[in-house]
Amino acid sequence: MFALTNTTTRLAVAGLAAAAFMTTFTAQAEWKPKGPISVVIGFAAGGGTDTQARLISAELKKRKGWNMIPSNLSGRGGVVMARKLKSMPNDGLSIGMAVTEVFGYNMLASKKSGYKTSDFTYIATTTSSQMGIVANTSKGWKTFKDVIAAAKKGKVFKFAGMSAKHADINFLIEQKYGVKFNTVVLRGGRKVMNAIIAGDVDLGYGAGIQAKAVMSGKMVNLASGLGERLRISPNAPTLVEMGIPYDIGAKFIFVAPAGIPADARKALADAIGEVINDPSTKASKFVSKRYGGPDVVTGKKLDAYIANEIKAAKVLMKLMK
Amino acid sequence: MGLLDHIWLGIVTVFTVDPVFSIAGLPISMTIIMVFLGLIFGIFVGATPGIGGPVAMAISLPILISIFGFKADALLPVLGFLVGIMKGSTVGGAVPAILFNTPGTPDSLMTTLDGYPLTKKGQPGKALRVAHFSSVSGDTISDIVLITGAPFLAIIVERFLDFPEKAALIILSLAFVSAVVGSNVWKGLLAALLGLFMAYIGTGEDGHPRLSMGSDNLANGFPLISAVLGVLILGEVFKSLEDMWREMRETSTITKVEVKGDNKLHLSDIRKILPFIGISASIGTMIGALPGIGSTLAATLGYATGRKIHKGSPAFGEGAIEGIAATEAANSAVAGANLIPVLSLGIPGNISAVFILLATESIGGFVPGPQVFRLVPDQINQEMVYAFGLFTAMIFANGLNWTFGGVFMRWMGVMIKIPKQRLLPIVLLLTLTAIYVQQTNMFAVYVTLGFGFLGYFMRKLNFSVLAFVIAYILANNLEESMRQAFAVTGADPWFLFASPTSIIFVVISILVVIFFARNQKDLN
Repeated sequence: MFALTNTTTRLAVAGLAAAAFMTTFTAQAEWKPKGPISVVIGFAAGGGTDTQARLISAELKKRKGWNMIPSNLSGRGGVVMARKLKSMPNDGLSIGMAVTEVFGYNMLASKKSGYKTSDFTYIATTTSSQMGIVANTSKGWKTFKDVIAAAKKGKVFKFAGMSAKHADINFLIEQKYGVKFNTVVLRGGRKVMNAIIAGDVDLGYGAGIQAKAVMSGKMVNLASGLGERLRISPNAPTLVEMGIPYDIGAKFIFVAPAGIPADARKALADAIGEVINDPSTKASKFVSKRYGGPDVVTGKKLDAYIANEIKAAKVLMKLMK
Repeated sequence: MGLLDHIWLGIVTVFTVDPVFSIAGLPISMTIIMVFLGLIFGIFVGATPGIGGPVAMAISLPILISIFGFKADALLPVLGFLVGIMKGSTVGGAVPAILFNTPGTPDSLMTTLDGYPLTKKGQPGKALRVAHFSSVSGDTISDIVLITGAPFLAIIVERFLDFPEKAALIILSLAFVSAVVGSNVWKGLLAALLGLFMAYIGTGEDGHPRLSMGSDNLANGFPLISAVLGVLILGEVFKSLEDMWREMRETSTITKVEVKGDNKLHLSDIRKILPFIGISASIGTMIGALPGIGSTLAATLGYATGRKIHKGSPAFGEGAIEGIAATEAANSAVAGANLIPVLSLGIPGNISAVFILLATESIGGFVPGPQVFRLVPDQINQEMVYAFGLFTAMIFANGLNWTFGGVFMRWMGVMIKIPKQRLLPIVLLLTLTAIYVQQTNMFAVYVTLGFGFLGYFMRKLNFSVLAFVIAYILANNLEESMRQAFAVTGADPWFLFASPTSIIFVVISILVVIFFARNQKDLN
């Protein structure tokens, strides 16, 4: 701006002021979608992400009259969805739902994930996972230490995860304790639960979907994947306590392609937050029952959270090497 | 929660959830209304030569989904409508076959053999009543087998099938479908392979989309509904347009028939046809439970078996009510049993089942597979509730079919007057509109047209479109279960041969292909 003449500067300032005025003006007239909003869900139908996305979509349709069209696009722990979402129009009419690790660890761990952090606008989180390692109670295991003890005797257990991160954590456990698992990555927590119940695998990761089965005594949380112990299973040690220094908890998150209008971002975030924080909605009841309540993060705080997630992922990646 | 609780909840869900209005204090739910409308629509399209149940289901599905949305509540009304069409069209198909010697659907080809002679004798009413009675009986028997059989099959599958066995089972289903459908085993296999290839474009476990040649449109593969509707519906429309163009010079006149003599269905008639219904319904149910073999073969087999055991006059082909009964009971019995592999395994056996599966894939909350029938102590398995809701809707549809179906059916004689040259463009327009409504982009419409031409050429060259479509739908399941089986066995490349069950499945797959290929040679 230094080199500009006086007149141009004035004109520029006037232009800026006008633009600022316009922005405030449009912000006051609330953003409205100009058509149906497609909601691409990064995990299979029937799971926790899917249920939240559909319940919130339905409530938004009811409250705001927005025409929300959810569809599922599962694979690679949400990476397939993110890839697709990146190239969808950034007018606020295309949003995706997944978990935060899709934009952190899962992205970094895929050789050709095809997207980067800056390809997205992060809209709002809904709740946090209650990540645990789960098995049928009938296996007789009390905590993950029992599994390790049995594995050390040479038994190879089938272990189901939901993303590449879980497979890597398993690798770290194998290294640390000198054991071997047959790790399989399934599409979403629902499939992991089915595989455990049917006996197709011996144990697996659950992000909160296991809560009911654990409460009824049918399943047991063997370990907590969070930095702290799980609310419903205080006796299960955390992975950190077991020498795997990594918090694999995640938040469920709505995202949009990068560069959506600021008013659209705010309107979407506010609307989602309003639904999930209202205890009378089905969506809110669902996350309270399964994940211990809503956890809405938006705006700059959310950007900082994602940046942190990437930092933590890089720490784990270093551990892997 | 026990089994009975789930059955009761399923019934309650169908009849009481989302009441629209009430008659004499009884609430009428949305699902009930949709079953009723679907049934009427089904009879209507079944009686219209040129379009049948599958076309009607295909066009309705995207429209229903845009009306009811994607939430689990939408499941029962949408499935109810589709089930209604499925059941109505088998009944309706007999109408033009009997009255005008023109089968409304391919399944009722055999119905013309005895139905039309009866009409010529002045007894169209009797023929229609026999067709209705046999069709609904066959359907009901088949539904009973479905309702009792599917949960048991699911439990067995869940208990005995591990990842590798599930992969082997999908291979077996594909081999079976390719081998038994269509004119030639090798052509069937080629069609299935083509279906797999098309489905593998853009999909897969890698973040990087394969075979998409850098196109963003293909990065996520072809839209499922475009591929399926393109091959099944547009391909058929193109082929029919061509046939019509060829046959333009042939003119057929419809002669008016005088109604005279006995046109009622007497108890003595029912006694006469009951054994034929029983045998044909069993044949139809067995065929329905196997993937790939459709109702047309069931009708042929039912008729042939009936002819063998029939004694007395009139003989089959000269207006025997037993002939109508044997055909109609067999082709209607396929529908219910066809849902057994869909609900307990997630594997569709014929086109109607494909649309039921597509509906559950588009709407959340219900994923067909063995877990649907799992009892969890102290909890409600919502999927099982939906399954029993679906069964309730089917039984309700049968009830409607028993009571109103016959009346509606006898009104449908006028449908023959709808000219095919008007009907086909309407079907074309509706299909493309429905695709655009659901996908909201033109790329999906182009893909549909592309698959339409593919379907047309496959029909011209006698390749089975059903094998193609079923392979297309199962492709990702196959890939997923193969990858998982490989991972869970600790990267054992011989995972398909690791357990007796999967070895048996693989061996049967090979035997099925060899057996049908050899038979073919004998026929030639």
